[in-house]
This record gives sequence, structure tokens and C-alpha cells, in this order.
Amino acid sequence: MSTLEHDPAPVGEPAEEKAPSRLAPIGRFVVSLLRMPTGLFGVLVMLGFVVLALSAPLFIHPSDLSVTQADGPLLAGPRSGYPLGTDPAGRSVLLLVIWGSRTSLAIGVMATLLTMVLGAGIGLMAGHYQGRVGRLLMHVTDWFIALPSLPLAIALAAVLGQGATSITIAIGVTSWTGTARLVRAQTLAVEARPFIERARALGATDTQLITRQVLPNVMPLILVSSTLTVASAILSEATLTFLGLGDPTSVSWGSLLNNAFMQGAVTAGAWWYLIPPGIAILVIVLGFTLVGRAVEHVLNARVQPR
Amino acid sequence: MSVGVPLEAPTVSGPEEGPERSDFPVYLARKVGAAVVSFVMLLVVGFIIFSLMPSDPVSALTRGRPTSDAQMNQLRHDLGLDQPLWERFLTFVGHTLTGNLGYSYEYHQPVSTLIADRLWPTLLLMGSSTLISIWLGMWLGIRAGWHPGSLLDRSASAVSLALWSVPTFWLGLILLVVFGSGSVGGIPAIFPAGGMQTHGTAGGLAPSHVLDVAWHLVLPCVTLVAVIFAQYVTIMRSSIIDERGNPYLLTARAKGLRDEVVRRRHAVPNALLPSVTVIFLQIGGMIGGAITVEVVYSWPGLGYLTFTALRIPDLQLLEGTFIVFSAAVIVCNLIADLLYRALDPRVRRQ
Amino acid sequence: MTAPFAGLRRRRRVAALAVAAVTAATISAGLLAGPSASAASSGDSTLTVQADTQMTTFNPFLSYYDGELNVIGAIYPALTMLDDQGQPEPYLADSWSTSSDKLTWTFKIHPGLKWSDGQPLTAEDAAWTFNLIMHNATAATSNGSLVSNFKSVTAPDATTLVITTKQPQANMLYLSVPVSGIPIVPEHVWKDHVTGLKNYRNMDFPVVGYGPFTLTGFKTNQYAELTADKSFFLGAPKYDKVVTNYYANSDAAAAALTSGELDQIGGLTPAQFNKMSSESGVMTYQTQSSGWTAIEINPGAQTRSGKPLGTGSPILKDIKVRQAIALGIDRPELVKKVLDGNGIEGAGYLPPGYPQFFWKPSASEALDYDPARAKQLLDDAGYKMGPNGVRVAPDGKPLEFRLGIHSDDATDAAIAPYLKEWMSAIGIKLTVNAMSFDQLNNDLSKGDWDILMDGWSTGPDPTYLLSIQTCGTLPEDNGQNGNTDAFFCNKEYDRLFAKQQTEFDAQQRAATIAQMQSILYAGNADLILFYKNGLDALRTDQVTGFLQGAKQSDGFYPLQHGFASWWKAAPVAGAATASQKASEQSSSAFKWIGLGVVVVLLIGGGVVLMRRRTAAERE
Repeated sequence: MSTLEHDPAPVGEPAEEKAPSRLAPIGRFVVSLLRMPTGLFGVLVMLGFVVLALSAPLFIHPSDLSVTQADGPLLAGPRSGYPLGTDPAGRSVLLLVIWGSRTSLAIGVMATLLTMVLGAGIGLMAGHYQGRVGRLLMHVTDWFIALPSLPLAIALAAVLGQGATSITIAIGVTSWTGTARLVRAQTLAVEARPFIERARALGATDTQLITRQVLPNVMPLILVSSTLTVASAILSEATLTFLGLGDPTSVSWGSLLNNAFMQGAVTAGAWWYLIPPGIAILVIVLGFTLVGRAVEHVLNARVQPR
Repeated sequence: MSVGVPLEAPTVSGPEEGPERSDFPVYLARKVGAAVVSFVMLLVVGFIIFSLMPSDPVSALTRGRPTSDAQMNQLRHDLGLDQPLWERFLTFVGHTLTGNLGYSYEYHQPVSTLIADRLWPTLLLMGSSTLISIWLGMWLGIRAGWHPGSLLDRSASAVSLALWSVPTFWLGLILLVVFGSGSVGGIPAIFPAGGMQTHGTAGGLAPSHVLDVAWHLVLPCVTLVAVIFAQYVTIMRSSIIDERGNPYLLTARAKGLRDEVVRRRHAVPNALLPSVTVIFLQIGGMIGGAITVEVVYSWPGLGYLTFTALRIPDLQLLEGTFIVFSAAVIVCNLIADLLYRALDPRVRRQ
Repeated sequence: MTAPFAGLRRRRRVAALAVAAVTAATISAGLLAGPSASAASSGDSTLTVQADTQMTTFNPFLSYYDGELNVIGAIYPALTMLDDQGQPEPYLADSWSTSSDKLTWTFKIHPGLKWSDGQPLTAEDAAWTFNLIMHNATAATSNGSLVSNFKSVTAPDATTLVITTKQPQANMLYLSVPVSGIPIVPEHVWKDHVTGLKNYRNMDFPVVGYGPFTLTGFKTNQYAELTADKSFFLGAPKYDKVVTNYYANSDAAAAALTSGELDQIGGLTPAQFNKMSSESGVMTYQTQSSGWTAIEINPGAQTRSGKPLGTGSPILKDIKVRQAIALGIDRPELVKKVLDGNGIEGAGYLPPGYPQFFWKPSASEALDYDPARAKQLLDDAGYKMGPNGVRVAPDGKPLEFRLGIHSDDATDAAIAPYLKEWMSAIGIKLTVNAMSFDQLNNDLSKGDWDILMDGWSTGPDPTYLLSIQTCGTLPEDNGQNGNTDAFFCNKEYDRLFAKQQTEFDAQQRAATIAQMQSILYAGNADLILFYKNGLDALRTDQVTGFLQGAKQSDGFYPLQHGFASWWKAAPVAGAATASQKASEQSSSAFKWIGLGVVVVLLIGGGVVLMRRRTAAERE
């Protein structure tokens, strides 16, 4: 992995380890990322999604989301004023889908944070503490991978009670293993390098080693992993909410689809209610995945030019 | 990993064992031992999760029915709900090991009977989807990997990625509404709107019944295949790419064999070997997809059973399906480990 | 490519194509032959309906689901049955009389009847059934409370049944009715199952019983099959068989109705209902409701001895706040938006499906939608508007309440946003919590709730539904043994409840019950939002006589009883079997199209395979 960010060497380190200016590599990284068509597309999608989600309150008024004030025809197809038709309460589907991006973004980000903290934490410790602790953590990780994620998420959500929090926890608990394994492998690789030995010889504590030496080198990997995790977290949130484990009163893509399914939209042929939330999920997940892959590609290219 | 399907090819844990290569019985014992430990931990965690639920199933069961207090207490006693926690755990372990997974008060049947009833539909769905995905994945992946960077390769990757990014249940809903409802744009309902068979048809192996089930299987299978075939494409593709670089293939070409034959007769068999074990590893990831597909199509399998168990929720049934799913994955991983070891001569030889 | 191999190649290719063609022919033949073969083999006329719910057991002592109860009602007799006005009329009991103190009932059982296995059906069976429920805790699971007032049940002879009660019981004739009451089971069969009663699912086919139908088949999670008993003493059913199919999702059921495989379907969503209305040969109809959807407001949860219980907001103890909440809800709007107009706005405690009890408040009592009045009421009561749009009680606590809804209920989820917005308009903040059925009931019984979604339905005798609002159903001090619906407790209500139980005159009883409903309405612990109509569809080109009763003035049909519908329905002469066959053919045509694609692919694949194999020969 490239040394994208590297702590300034402690006093006494040889000159070759001195870090260059931090900003230049980032700039180069971004440029090479944007040069890839998939990377460009992905970044645009990501930015567009975040901007849309955050700015939604500016152009969507509470009355558009209000059921009591909705005056559109009930579950009607696209027409003037309602480019994507209406839902069973008479609200515009287009506005609902845009508003739904907020919940999806929120849960996606929160779940990813949880996954990263759990996964990176466990991975770092497993890789750093080589002895019994490390092996134990590795076994726990391997065992967790064996648990099928959806049944586990269902069990957790059923126990914790339905809602956004339990979905976030369920996603976090079922997704951390991938990150943990990656981080562990990378930790092992990093710790094999000479500068770690030197730091240890100089009396650095475990905490210092992990936070100052290992973590910065593992960060790029965590970065890549987190974009891919956001993608899968959004997918998982949609699935869990569709199965009825989410908060049925909040507007999210999953709840729109759940609503559609439960209200007989299939028989009614209400394709305008069924297709847009799925397309939204598809585009967003695709965007994040492409960015993650592009970042990975760029980082790899810098280390091993092909 | 998403609760849908993981995209990256998973790694088998075999080679991680390190340089010491022992003989097969020792390897077997170690792997089986690890599987048993996993299973025990599974039981513990499963019990803990489900005991945490703050609920009184009896009042849920009898709500709306004119039942008296004494009768409700009796029901509580019958369900073993008045025992202390540790006693319930021991009973639970003992029962699970003897195949008694509890009693579903929603269905008035033992959980194991319910699971046994629903096992076949899930196996049918997952089995047919896996077979078709493997075939499709092989066909596409091998060709894509043989000519990396070609149009086929790039479009295969693009399609795979797009299909992975789509929620499984949504794909199912769309297919259902377009082909199963007859309500969209004049397209008639070519396929059924759910379920596993038309009511009233003869059962068993009568040809009309088999065809009826096959007809109902088409949409769920297509949905599941669409989402999981991408993994097999990836696996086959990377295996073939790895194989391509091998010198023995040069020899084959020097013999005058056509490209296609070189690929088919020499590269593919060697590339396939590690892929076989991966198939078993993928089953764990496929369970999530199978559950959502079953829910959308009301396919009466284990996944749909899990979903209906959420209603009250039916604790014992949820616990039972959770254990069965997880145990199945543990078994599949074990088989994958053993297969890897048994099949790959390169690994064994060391 | 040498000459000697050329012939071989061609032969292989021809062979491959021949195999493929034969496969395709077989598949097509199977497809086209299959469905019509099964239809032709049964010359019986079959009524195919949708099961209301799944069916898991047919043990009448344990049964819970409507789907099961409908079947049980058709295969076991009951003492009385209800006519289409909901009034009791003779069934197994030809006549009855009461003693002068009203404590003894004597029923004359119809003589000469036999169970389906030939054994005589006598008053002994009835006595045995009632006694089992009275004395066996497991047997009392489904209907235990219906016999709670019974003192003894005896059969002095084969055609006489004597029931003595502890108190006079006015609703005696409603206790043993098909579907919603206690069915009579054959003693000679069931006495062997008493010890294992809990696990006995009553699936030994054909099930020994008596009624218009016999249960002859059941496939788990699919259907139950009933065969008509043409010697049924009250009139033979017109159909030879009834098949009740369970569809896990209503879209599949709707598709089956459209294709003609189903004759009748119920429980449609408004969207599906509208779609079905435009199908040819299908009649959609709405039936009056046997239940209601409401919100219950915690009026001060307490135990039987008056000890406060739970974490309910004390502000809601103030009747004025509850009245304001009632005034702030636009019930007609809920019917219009949530039910798409397919319902009646709520008011009285007993649903419109029972017109003899249906009550509406007078103009002065009514709390119709009037947010201005609600705000005024709250202002006058001292709940001033706070800084962030939420009112504040005189003691400083804000008017913020939890609204608990069922997480798996689409209607609850649809209603919640409306309530939230209407309450916010009058200065009350609602926090919506979606919970599992179990958890909601748990919180309810412990008093840890402010406002909850609530829904009940009732059989033709409202005693049980009325009882759950009495002080007697409050829990004991230890929190156990409560069966209350909303912790409502009113002495006058209790007095009237006891009174109506002993009123044998139907009019008097109705009047007393009307007074009770008035008290409940004023109490505002249960705010009835609406009565959801049953949304059903019927293939009138295949079935007649299924709908019982006439269309009411509000355009809805009276409450339907599965038992009567199955018994009295008749196939449309000639059309039924024909259209069934026709739809089978057309659906098999689609099967052919669908599978034809698959077959073509297989053939294509097969040819390719063969080609590759022959190509290898070429090397």
C-alpha cells in the first residue's frame, strides 16, 4: 500500500523515512482518481447524492411530505405536477424518493462508522497482539463470518425492536468481519516493516505503535473498505426495512418499497411506485462501489505500476 | 459484507494454516473440531439473543380469544416459560442436539416439523439457482477471463456489477409486477404471482405437477440467479486469468491446438478446481438472497418461514430457523475446507 | 476433416436435434395435458375460495385463526346458528326453553342424526364437549370464557341437553354457533385425545364430524378440502366440494381470481380492490365490519385495588385532554385517505356489522373533528401553548406522548403520520414507536404506554368485547391476571354490564348496551377511528348465492359468515366448469409460452453442446 499519509518520524529516525508534504500526494491521488471514467462517475454520484440529501429540506416543504396536506390523486401514475406519480396517500413519489435519500444516507454512514470502528479495532488488535489474544480474535472473526448475515440481522432486529437504531446495529454487527480481516492482514504486513521494530526498540508502547505507526498506514485500506461498506450498508438497510424491521413511519427507500408491497402495488401495477426507489438504490450503490474500486485501483497502481 | 451477497471472492481458510502440512486425518479432525466449536458457540449466542426478548408470548397468543387467567398460566407452564434462565438453556441445548427445536405456537407444530416441511422448497430454489449461476458464471467468466479487456469481459463486469448493486427483493418485485401481475402496459401475466404450485394440481412426481412447480420456480430462480451469478463470473474469471499465465498452456498451443480447445481442455479444468470449494463457501452468502426472494414470491421455504416468524414474534421458530441456517453454513464451510484439501493435488503434495 | 467422419458428424447432429425435439414435444404435451386432465377427472363441482388466514390445526379447542375457524364451523355442528340478521335460529337444537328463574336452559336436540362415521349424534356429545371445556385447561384455550358462567351441563337423554348457569345468562344462544362459538365434537372420537389434546391437530382424514361438509383433505400451507354431505338435515350444499386455499400474499390470490382459479377472495387492499373492480366477470363488494381500529389513550393505568401502574403520562388522566385529542382527529378524512373510502368513520364501541347493537352518538355527545374547539378546550383547561409549538401543562410538563403502533401492520403505519400531524396542529407532540405485537401487548399490560393503536373484532355476541372494559379485568397488584383493553374502569359501566348479561329481552339488552357505549364514548379511553370494510371479490360468472343478505343503504353488504356462504352457494349452470377449463387452458398457454422460451434455450444449448463435441472430433 502506498504511504499516503505518514506520521513524521520520531527523533532519531534516519532521513529516508522523513515524510514529504502531505497535500501533494492527496492532490495527485484525486487527479488520478478522476481520470478514470468509473472513478469520475462514482465521485459524481457520491457527491450528487450527498448534496441532494443534505439540501433536500431547501426545496421539499413539510407539506409535500405531509399526509394530511397531500392533495394528489391516490396511487396514480405520472402526470403533470407529479412526474413520478403519487403514493397511496397522494404524495409525490419523486419528492418522497429524494427525501428518502436522507434516511438511507444517515443509516448508511452510521452503520459504516460502526462497522469501521468494530472491524478496524478488532483487526488492528488481532494483527498487533500476535499471541493468544490475536489468535482468539481471529477465531472469533472467522466464526462470525460463518453466521449468515440476514438471519442474524433478523434475529437482532427482532430482539432489539424494530427501528433505525436496531437496523444500524444489525448491519454493523454483520459487516465488520470483512474489514477486520483486511485490517488484520494489513496490520501484519505493516508491522513486518523495519521501522516498527525500530520504534519498538525505542520504547514505544503498544498504543503509540498502533495509533502512530500502524494506523496511518492502514487508513487508505480502511478508506477503500468504507466506501464499499457504505454501498452494502445502504443495500442492507433497504432489505431489512423491506422485511419490516425498520421504522415504518420514516420515509426511506426501503420503507417505500415495503409500503408498496404491503399495499398491493403489485396487483395494482403501480410501477411508478416500485421502480424509482430501486433505481435510486442502484445508482447510489453503484456510485460508491465504483469509487471504492477506483480508489483501490489508484492506490494499487501507485505501488505496483502495471 | 452486505446482508445481500458479497461480491469479492472469499478466501478459503485452508492455506492460512501455515507451512506445517499434516496428513489428512489430522486435518480432518482439526477442521471438524473447529466446526463443532463453532456450533456450540452458535447455540450459546442464539440462546442469549432470543432470551433477551422482553415479551410474553402467551398474552400475544391468546389476545382476542376468550381465555381466562388460569388458562394463560397453564399455557405459560406448558411452554416452559416459568423456568429460570440457566435451566432453559440446558433444556434448549439438550433438545437441539436431539433434534427438538421447540414448539411454534403460531403454527401449533414442533419447529423441527415445520423446518423439515419447508426444507425442500428452499433446497429446490437455492439448488437450481446455484446450478444455473455456476453454468452461466462459467460460460461468461471463462470467456471473459480468457480475453481480458475485451468487449465481452467489460460488459460482463458491468452487468455483474449493476446486478450486484440492485437489492435482490427489488429485482424480484419488478419481475413480479411486470411478468406476474398482468397489470403493467398490457403485458399479460406469463408467470404466476407467487407461491410454489397451483392449488388443486396433483402432487408428487406427476409431470403436470413437476411442470407446474417449474413454472412457479422461473421468476424466483431468475431473480436469485441475476444477483448471485456475478460472483461466479468473478471467480471463474480470476481463476482463468491466473491459469492463462501458466507455461504449460504454451506447450498446448505449440501442439497446434485451437485456442478454444486449449481453453476448454487444459485451462478450465485446472482453473475449476479451487472454484469448486468456493461454491460451498458462497452458500452462506446466498441465504440472505434466498430469504428475500422467498418473501417476495411467497415461496414456501425456510426463508419465508423466518419472515412469518417475525410476526408475533414466534421466538422458538425464529431461533430454530436461525440455528438451522447457521449450522448449514458451518457444514458448508467444513465441506469447502475438506474439498479444497482433498481435490487440489498441489496442496496435498506438500 | 476427413470423409469417413463426415457421416458420423451428421448422424450425431441429427440425433441431438431429435432428442431435443422429443423433449420439447413431451414437455408441451405434459403442459397441455396436465391441467385439463385434472379438471376432467373430477366431475364434482368445486367451490374454490381463499382462506382468510393460514390453517395450522383443526382442533376446535385450540384453534385461533379465522381460516381454521371457518373450516371447523362447516364440519362440526353447533346448538344454534345465526340468520342473516345475526339472530339465533335452530341448528342442532330444534327448540329450547328456560326455567322461570332463567338459570336452567333445556335444549331439544334434533333426533336421528349420525356422525359421518355412522355413530349416533346425541345430546351426550354436546354435554361432553361443554364439560371438557369447563374442566380441562387446555380445552379451554379457545373458548374458555364462554362457559365461565356455566354451573353444569347434562344430557338426561339422547335428545335433551340441560345447561344450568350460575347467573342468568342472556347470550346463551350465541355461545354455540358455527365459526364464532363452541362446536360440538363427537365424544367417541375425542375422548381418546384428551390426554394429548395440546398436540392433536385433528388431521385424521376424513375428520369425523357432522355438518354441511366433511373435512377430507389438507395440505400444509396450501389448502383444506371439504366434501359436501348431501344428507345434511337442513339442506344439502349445492357444491360437491369446497377447497379453501391459503395464499401467503394477496397479490398471488388476486392473480388467481383474475385467472378464474379462485371463485372468491377477501381481504383486498384498496389498491387491489380498485383493480379487481375493472375485471370482467368479477363483482367486488364491501361487507360491513365486525370490528374496529382505534387508538387507546391511557386514562390512568391502575390495578384492581387502585394502585397506579406503569409510566403512562399523568396528563392523559385529564378527560379534557382526551376529549381534545378526539376533537383533533378527522375521522372521515382517515376513511377517505387510508381506506380509500372503504369504511365507516368510528364512534360507537360495537361495529356496524351488528346493526342491532350499532350505536352513534347524538349531536350533543359527538366529538367530531373540530381543531378550533380542541385548542380552545386545551387553552381553557390550562394547557398553554409552549415556545416550540408544544403545549405545556400547568406543572410545566409538555404535552408529549408516545404513540405505539404495530410494526407489521400496514394500516397502523398509514394512520400514524396523520395522527402525528393532526396532534401537532393542536399543540400535542406524538412520538411514534413501532413495536412487535408481543412487545406492544407487554407494554400495555404493564401500563407503560401513553397512546396505542388498538383493534378488535367481535362475534355476534358482544359480551367478551364489552367485558374487557370492565373494572374486573384490571390486573391484580402483582401485575398479573389482567385482561383489560385500555385500563378503563367505570362503576356505572360495570353495573350495566352485569345488567345486560341477564336481560333476555333483545330490545332491552340493546338499550342497555347502547348506554354502555355512550359511557365508553364519553370516557375517551378508546377512540374508535374507523370500521374497516371487508373488501372482497367474487366471480359472479362462476358462483351464485354466495353473498348472504342484501345491500344496505350505505352500499355495503352485511357481515358475511363463511359457514353460510359455503353451504348456500351454487355453481352457475354450465358456465363454471367451462370457464374453469378455459382459464386452465389459457394459463397453460402462458405456461407454454414461458416454458417454451426455456425449452428453446435448452435445445439451443443442446445443439451447441453437440456441435462442440463434434468439433472435438475434428481436431
